This record gives sequence, structure tokens and C-alpha cells, in this order.
Amino acid sequence: MLQISLRAEQIFHIGSFPVTNAVLLSGVALVLLAVLAITLRSKLAFVPNAGQNIMELVVGGALTLMDSVLGNRKSSEKYLPLVFTVFLFVLCSNWLGLLPGVGSIVVKGVGGEVVPLLRSPASDLNFTLALALIVVTFVNIFGIAAVGLKSRLSVFFNFKGPIDFFVGILELISEFAKIISFSFRLFGNVFAGEVLLAIMAFLVPYLVPLPFMFLEIFVGFIQAFIFGMLTLVFVAMAVVTHGDEH
Amino acid sequence: MQQLFDQLGIDWHLLLSQAVNFFILLVVLRVFIYKPLLKLLHDRRARIEEGLMKADEADKRLAEVDIIGKGKIKDAESQALNILKKTEVDARKLEAEMFAEAKRKGAEEFKNLEAILHAREQAAHLAIEKEAALLIKRAIVRTVELSPEKIDDALIEKSVKEMKHIV
Repeated sequence: MLQISLRAEQIFHIGSFPVTNAVLLSGVALVLLAVLAITLRSKLAFVPNAGQNIMELVVGGALTLMDSVLGNRKSSEKYLPLVFTVFLFVLCSNWLGLLPGVGSIVVKGVGGEVVPLLRSPASDLNFTLALALIVVTFVNIFGIAAVGLKSRLSVFFNFKGPIDFFVGILELISEFAKIISFSFRLFGNVFAGEVLLAIMAFLVPYLVPLPFMFLEIFVGFIQAFIFGMLTLVFVAMAVVTHGDEH
Repeated sequence: MQQLFDQLGIDWHLLLSQAVNFFILLVVLRVFIYKPLLKLLHDRRARIEEGLMKADEADKRLAEVDIIGKGKIKDAESQALNILKKTEVDARKLEAEMFAEAKRKGAEEFKNLEAILHAREQAAHLAIEKEAALLIKRAIVRTVELSPEKIDDALIEKSVKEMKHIV
């Protein structure tokens, strides 16, 4: 029988830490990307091979895109690790969630019930919320590093006038809204995709789910791109002084 | 709030797990990909820029060398022309000198030859004179040896023959 759960199912515990199927797949994504990175690092050469060419093309494209937002290459290179890692992690997680076996291979969970062994990480709010918290924290750290603590705080706590004060409060609220919008946008899209695919596969198992699979591949990429781009834009907004924005 | 978190499945343990996952990935990618790759791209860019700069410099130098070469060729041509002109003048001068020398030597030789010829002529005259004297001497001797009547008869006879021949 088809089961749709908003919460990720617990598979086992490590000490007091529960391990859910979403955490397991995000671990797989981490290992996969880490192995790929270490392999590519060992083959890095001044005259590139095919793999390195593709990697340079992708990273070069990301840097060019970041240049258009941040305005210079130095800043792009400085913030590339955060922005591009967010994009890669979300993309890899989303696409791994579409692989055959994810959701269909089942094991006995902690409570004894039958649960899927793997689940798309972004279909668990913990994954998206963790990423959103990390991004917003980093954005503020970068902002403080770029313009100073006082200048950064003046964005939220401005006592120059009632309007500035009100705008500051709105900015503060928007920081929390960012976390919610970041996490729920990604979670909503991926979870909806998972549900859609599960229902389609349940109703008509052959051929009909295929276009929806392609749609989810596209959605997976677009959501990762949006998450990365929003991170980039928030970083760009945070590293300029308050007066420069106008 | 706690009930909402429970409903949504939000658990700080899981949040921490996912955050740790992300941080590990961030560190791994930073160490193994971003840093070395950006360094490599910088190095390559620097090398390409250096290569282009050197190529520009080489082009500039080549143009300078070309200009210097052309100047030198022009100088060499001009020098060659001067040398040719000077050689021609020298040759003409030498030719004139040689011609004068040859003329002088010719005249000298001619004089020598004239002197030699004159000497030989003198010698021939002397020899002829000697020979003539000797002949006269012999003729006189013969004449002395002959009788006057016979000489007269012979002369008369010769004269008669000459007369007959003329008439």
C-alpha cells in the first residue's frame, strides 16, 4: 500500500543520534561528491584532460555567473565555495533521490514498521532547514567580515528615524523569512515531486511516470540553481555597506 | 511550537547531522577542488598573459630588427655604390697611367730600336765601305796588272755597244 510521510523515517540510531533514510542518502551524496573531488584532484594537471576540462568549464561558468552578480572576480572566488557547494549538494541530493531503488527498497525501521531505506534528502525539512540556517548564518558572517559588525547591525537596528527603524525591523524579520522561504521552497518542490512520482508509479507503473521523471530531473536542477542563486544574491547584498545599496 | 516541529519532523539531531554533512562536503570540496583548481586557473592565466606579452615584445623586437636590417642594407648598398664608383675612378686613373706608361715605354723602345737600327746601319755602311775599299783595292790591283791598250780597247768596245743600244 502506498505510504506518504512528511517526516523522514528512522532506520537506526548512532548513540542518541537517529539516522533517517534522508540522512542516509545525504551521506551517500556526500561520499559520492567527496570521492569525485578526491579523484579529480589527483588528476589535476596544467594541461587538462576531458574530466578536468568539464570541471573547469562548470566552475568557470559558475564564476562568470557570480561575476555578473558580485561585480568582480576576486569576490566571486571568495564566495564560490559556499555558493557552489550548496548548489552541488542540493543537485546531487535531488538527482540521487530519483534513482531506482530510492523509496522502493524497504527495511524495518526503528519502530518495527517497514520503511524505505533511502529518501530524497530535500524531501525532509531537516535537510532544507539546515542548509537555510547555514546559508543565512554564512551570509551574515560574510556581511560582518566585509562591512564590519556595526555597519551590519545597523541594517537591522537603525535609530536614525522612525522609518529607518521600521525598515530595520523589516530587514530583521526578512532574515527569518529567508530561512523559512529557503527551506520550504526546496522541501515543497522536492516533496511534491516525490509524492507525484509515487502516485504515478502506484497508479500506472509503466511508461506514464517517465515524463514526470524527466520533469523531476529538471525540477531538481532548477531548485538547486535557485538555492545557489539566492545564496549568491543574499551574499552580494550583505557584503555591500548599507549606504551602497541605494 | 514543539508540536509543529514534531508534525514537520524537525529534530535538532537531524538538523545537526545534515549541517555536519554539509560542512564536511564544504571542507572536502574547498581542499580538493576549489583551492587547487583556482590556483591552477590563475597560474594558467598568468602563463598565457606572460606568453602574449612575450609574443608582443618579440613582434616589437622583430619590427625593430627589420628596421635596423633595412637601414643596414641601405647603408651597405650605398657603401657598395661608393666603392664601385671609387673603383671605377681608380680604374680609369690606373688605365690612364698604364696607357701613359705604355706610351712612354713604347717611345723608349722605339728610340732604342731606332738607335739599334742606326747602329746597324752604321755598321753596314762601315762594312760596305770596307768591302768597297777592298773591291776598289782589288780592282786597282787588277787594273794595274792589265795593259793599257787592252783597257782602252775594252772601254771603246763597251762604249760602242752602249751607243748601239741607245740608238
